[in-house]
Amino acid sequence: MKKMIAGLGFALAAAAMTTGANAADTYPDRPISVMVSYGAGGATDFQARIVTMVAGNEDLLGQPIVIINKPGAGGRVGWNWLATKADNDGYTVGAYNVPHFIAQSIKGGVQYSTDSFEPIANWGSDPAVVVVGKDSEFDSMEDLVAYAKKNPGKTTMSGAGLFVGHHIAALQIEKACDCKMAYIPTKGGGAAAMKAVIAGDTLAGINNLSDAYRAREAGNVKILGVADLERNEEFLADVPTLKEAGLDVDNSSVNFRGLMVPKGTDPAVIEMLAAKVPEMFANGRVAKRMKAGGSPMKIMTRDEVLKMWSERQTYLEELLEGL
Amino acid sequence: MEFLSYFGGVFEPVAMLLLLGGTVGGLILGATPGLSPTMAVALLIPFTFHLSPTHGLILLGAAYTSTVAGGAVSAILLRIPGAPANIATALDGHEMAKQGEGARALHLSFLASGIGGVIGVLLLIFLTPVLAQWALAFGPSHLFWMAILGVTLIGSLDSKSFVKGLLSGCIGLWLSTIGYDDMQGAPRFIFADALTGGINIIAALIGLFAIPQVMEMFAKGRNAAAIQAVTVTKHKLSASAKEIGQSGRALTVGTVVGSIIGLIPGVGGQIAGLVAYDQTRKLSPHKAKFGTGHPEGVIAAESANNAMVGPSLVPLLTLSIPGSPTAAVLLGGLLIHGIFPGGDLFERHPEVIWTFINSMLLGQILMVAFGIWIAASAAKIARAPMPIMAAAVLILAVFGSYSVQQSMGDVYVMLVLGIGMYALEKFGFSAAPLVLGLILGPIAEANFIQGSMIATATDGSLAYFFGGPLNIALVSLVVGSILYSFLSNRQVNTALKTVEAAE
Amino acid sequence: MTGARTQHIVPAGIVLAVAIIVAWLSFTEEPTEAFLFPRIISVAFVGLAVWNMYRAAAGLARVGGGIDGRTALNVLPGLIVALAFVFFAATALGFYVAGTLTFLAIYTIYDPTPLSSLNGWVRRIIVTAVFMAVMYGLFALLLKVQTPRGMFF
Repeated sequence: MKKMIAGLGFALAAAAMTTGANAADTYPDRPISVMVSYGAGGATDFQARIVTMVAGNEDLLGQPIVIINKPGAGGRVGWNWLATKADNDGYTVGAYNVPHFIAQSIKGGVQYSTDSFEPIANWGSDPAVVVVGKDSEFDSMEDLVAYAKKNPGKTTMSGAGLFVGHHIAALQIEKACDCKMAYIPTKGGGAAAMKAVIAGDTLAGINNLSDAYRAREAGNVKILGVADLERNEEFLADVPTLKEAGLDVDNSSVNFRGLMVPKGTDPAVIEMLAAKVPEMFANGRVAKRMKAGGSPMKIMTRDEVLKMWSERQTYLEELLEGL
Repeated sequence: MEFLSYFGGVFEPVAMLLLLGGTVGGLILGATPGLSPTMAVALLIPFTFHLSPTHGLILLGAAYTSTVAGGAVSAILLRIPGAPANIATALDGHEMAKQGEGARALHLSFLASGIGGVIGVLLLIFLTPVLAQWALAFGPSHLFWMAILGVTLIGSLDSKSFVKGLLSGCIGLWLSTIGYDDMQGAPRFIFADALTGGINIIAALIGLFAIPQVMEMFAKGRNAAAIQAVTVTKHKLSASAKEIGQSGRALTVGTVVGSIIGLIPGVGGQIAGLVAYDQTRKLSPHKAKFGTGHPEGVIAAESANNAMVGPSLVPLLTLSIPGSPTAAVLLGGLLIHGIFPGGDLFERHPEVIWTFINSMLLGQILMVAFGIWIAASAAKIARAPMPIMAAAVLILAVFGSYSVQQSMGDVYVMLVLGIGMYALEKFGFSAAPLVLGLILGPIAEANFIQGSMIATATDGSLAYFFGGPLNIALVSLVVGSILYSFLSNRQVNTALKTVEAAE
Repeated sequence: MTGARTQHIVPAGIVLAVAIIVAWLSFTEEPTEAFLFPRIISVAFVGLAVWNMYRAAAGLARVGGGIDGRTALNVLPGLIVALAFVFFAATALGFYVAGTLTFLAIYTIYDPTPLSSLNGWVRRIIVTAVFMAVMYGLFALLLKVQTPRGMFF
């Protein structure tokens, strides 16, 4: 009897292995879920829905992509889930936000780091910008910095949470101007941080370029500077970089968005995704919708993303040291 | 009256078809447990990729209005509120359905939704510029006091026992802090693996309302007499219409409260129904009947949560600030077509935006018509034998709570909370204040912390939280609300004692 | 009357114990900023729980009839099926297979039709199949929810 059970177990294991081998060949044969660590309607959710909308095309993945939202604690809930609970069968993919998840893993208290995930490809880059209300007395970064120097700790600046791109930008600005500001993290993402600026709850704010561009189009805010290496010619050609304004701030706070899978996913599946996903992002219809929404695209391959992750890791460890 | 000139766009064949599809689809999605209006609209966004901006928005507008009302169907028939907005509807609506008055409850709910909804959209059309400023007036300190005001309703929401009502609210507030803290990312009260993500509000709603109901059915046992089918009374539409006509008080309170609260970004939509329900009861001569299947409760709750739909879009359309998660999703629907909301939206894209608003207006009317058409047959669900009903609600609860974020943890939390709630209900605690605590906890906490940080950087906490007319007005309302519930509770207690003495 | 009083003391005691644990954790765990709000809540929580305990002990708790033996006995089988479904069968067997078995089990347990009646079984199986088909259509086909597949489906 024991032998029979053992034999049965062996047969089952063998069967599982063969299906495993076949699985990579036929992948994907059912819809793929993409987990977004922020709520429905946020910038990451919105962009993820657009860039994955053509996944079902026969020449791309051939299966539709479904978005699942797991919001909470600035993205920690979703990424913890992806690192520890998600199946690594290739049918569970996650959206990443850099520098958010890297900064959080350096700060500690989470169950993931860059080693927990395998990047697939990057679809967008959204630099942080400094915004003030439309009637604000500040017309340039110089004005804002001068005020902050005169009133240390009183320049309230909203941003979408702690240890996200906006927070990194705020820390970099404080370091560069050698002055003290008051960073106010809001709950509810960029939209809530923007509301704080428009309503005058805070003196200034740090926000996504895409959201700030729209708010300025609507006549609600002034944009003082972009935390990137170059000006954004596509949307904000008239706004200087922080470097031009005399602040030594680089592009470390730029919010990169892309797809990744949990560690342990079949290399064949990763390879297949890494080949097809950038193609999916490059689709003409995707580009058109992203541009219409004011969301800057930046397609990067798996190798480029791996390099970007490790650069950010090194820099952020240095910036966040002793915080 | 500019909007009238754009009505033509809604009546062309494709637009009409989308309007109909959006309304019916929205009702079905809204009635599906676990699918909140936010998720339902998010699911429909991909369909709009293939449509022109105007057509896409007609679909979204119709779907938004009808998902909110669709949630009332499952709240009334199954006691599974589709979203926080429908909690108050379940309180009296399900009692009515159990008494065979399901058709009447559905009629009233749809009629009240329609009236509240139309008024809400009219407010959006005519008062947008005025209302936009009102929405911005609420800063962190005011939102904090708003949440506290909501919490104080707890004391009076549960008429049976003052202390147990407040205690239920405290349990809810505590449950809301479970999981990783939003600001620091510090783990709090994570006793089990399923709690790492915190308690999902939709899953909790399903558990707290549906599971005690299932257990109540189990409690009747395998007993032919206990499971005798409810006789579902047929209800004439004319009678419902007449009843609505006579329920001016509930309708007015619901609509006014719904549209005012709907405007406040971040708080409004979720509690509009409960606040309106509570206010209506306070003003009603039949206080004691609330919670036992009183039609006024359904009317107040449903008129409020559809009246909120129009005003909740004001901050979005004028300031590009989404005031609710659903508005955020709708913003996405606008953006993919390159339409940026903002002050001059009505000048730049009048055809698109007026057609969108008109579709919400017509969507309300279609929703009422379709809702009433299905009411009679839908109400027959109450006739299903008890064992089928119990099994079906349990399975729906499990599938629904799983589908919120495809997480087994949410299902565990749903069932455990539900079983706990059953036991607590047996000892006089109630689900409504607990849920209110669960909803308001995060709002109160986030705004308290954010407000304190701003206060430290500026003029100090006292000036920040108590300065200015709006803060003072809200604080007085909080104090008034506590006094009111304490005093009215003493009255109830005295009345109870007199009854006991007489016995 | 004394029975009812004991019945109220037990839940009041449990709620009080929970409140004390919550308060203790709130005031001892780090970081302080994250536990500021829980501290405020837990103070109110403990206060109210003590008041509730006093009312229960003094026999002042009038609301709620408690759970009697007969009710508990009736609820138990359904509860066991529900727990087994959620905590074991749903992931082990797959949502749809487990759901079908659960539906059939609950329907059978609480259906007054005698188990020997063939018609009863036919009706129960048909109702279960129709209901689960609707669930499949709604969640799997329409909403594309990826439910756990387990051993079967």
